Amino acid sequence: MLMNSESDAAARERLSALVDGELEDRAVAQACAHWRESPASRATWHSYQLIGDVLRSDDLAADAARDARFVAMLRARLATEPVVLAPQPVGASRPDAHAETARAVSASSRRWSWMAPSAVAAGFVAVAGVLTLTRTSDVAVPDRPAATGLAQATPGLAGPVLARSTLVGSPSAPEPQTFVANGELIRDARLDRYLAAHKQFAGSTALGVPSGFLRNATAEAVGR
Amino acid sequence: MNGMTKPDADAPLIERVKSGDVKAFEMLVVKYQRRIERLIGRMVRDVDLVPDIAQETFIRAYRAIPQFRGDSAFYTWLYRIAVNTAKKTLMELKRDPLVSESARGGRDEDDDNASRVENELSDGETPDAVLASKQIASAVNFAIEALSDDLRQAITLREIEGLSYEEIAELMNCPIGTVRSRIFRAREAIALRLRPLLDTRDGERW
Repeated sequence: MLMNSESDAAARERLSALVDGELEDRAVAQACAHWRESPASRATWHSYQLIGDVLRSDDLAADAARDARFVAMLRARLATEPVVLAPQPVGASRPDAHAETARAVSASSRRWSWMAPSAVAAGFVAVAGVLTLTRTSDVAVPDRPAATGLAQATPGLAGPVLARSTLVGSPSAPEPQTFVANGELIRDARLDRYLAAHKQFAGSTALGVPSGFLRNATAEAVGR
Repeated sequence: MNGMTKPDADAPLIERVKSGDVKAFEMLVVKYQRRIERLIGRMVRDVDLVPDIAQETFIRAYRAIPQFRGDSAFYTWLYRIAVNTAKKTLMELKRDPLVSESARGGRDEDDDNASRVENELSDGETPDAVLASKQIASAVNFAIEALSDDLRQAITLREIEGLSYEEIAELMNCPIGTVRSRIFRAREAIALRLRPLLDTRDGERW
């Protein structure tokens, strides 16, 4: 009983400090929890606030029952309001009140953490597709025999990517037909004619690929 | 907020409201309801409207609290919301003749005295409530006079002068912990005197 009285007194002293905004951050949550759970604590809070008001002005002396009715009515209205959740400043620390928010944010971060490697992988696939396209386009060009090796070395990858890149590389040309059958590329002859006709515009980049096609194909990959 | 401004005593509760603690907002309501009602009562002569406008004020404040940045004291911000809410209500009364007629009794200066008193005491301010308010004020003032000098000085510097614990400690030449303890003991002593007037049992109404 004595312990209980002591803890009640300590709780009331914390409320008193909270009235003045002088309670340590870590104890605020404890005081608020006590306020929520204990009607006596709520009555004490009201008494302390009323005392302050009356000390400042006798006009503010009010019947406690009336105050209680006002709060009860407002509580009912607040129950129908959406819970406020304001963005918190970086570095704000309120461990208990934010525990759930922090867990949600953490889960969200985990959800998004795979995005960066995925973007890198997608970029790699796009570049590989361009390389494949430009190298395999040389298959039909006699003066670039070495490019054939790359396309054949990655048949699975080259197929679908090649088809997309081809569309971008010749937007105004008739749609070429490109297939992979038994690991070999079967391509529309019109595409080969188109590539050959535009070969004179192709510059050389650091990657050793025709820069014109690299720009077009890359733009499409980013657009996606 | 400039560097000389004292930290808002309400800041810890406001932070909790912003992080979803509705009960912390109720604590602020208990703190400010009397001041807000008095303010509205000075603007709106129909006393029946005062609690409704005060309720609306707090609801609007709750909705807007994510936008409260602490550039001014919380009460200053709440005060503006109360004034705007009262003005809006008065404008609506002027636009709505039916409401105006029903509220006219409390606003018409030509009304006889009895009618005016009846209207002014129509919500909670019954003669009993007025008497209770006077008794509360007397009890608080009597209790303050009965305090020891240290306790009275501490609570007065805090509640009337608005000084921080640190400033009071400096003035009273004692540790901050002692200031906190003295203010608490002063409140306890006054609350003890008030208890019979506030409720029959602790927490019955709260």
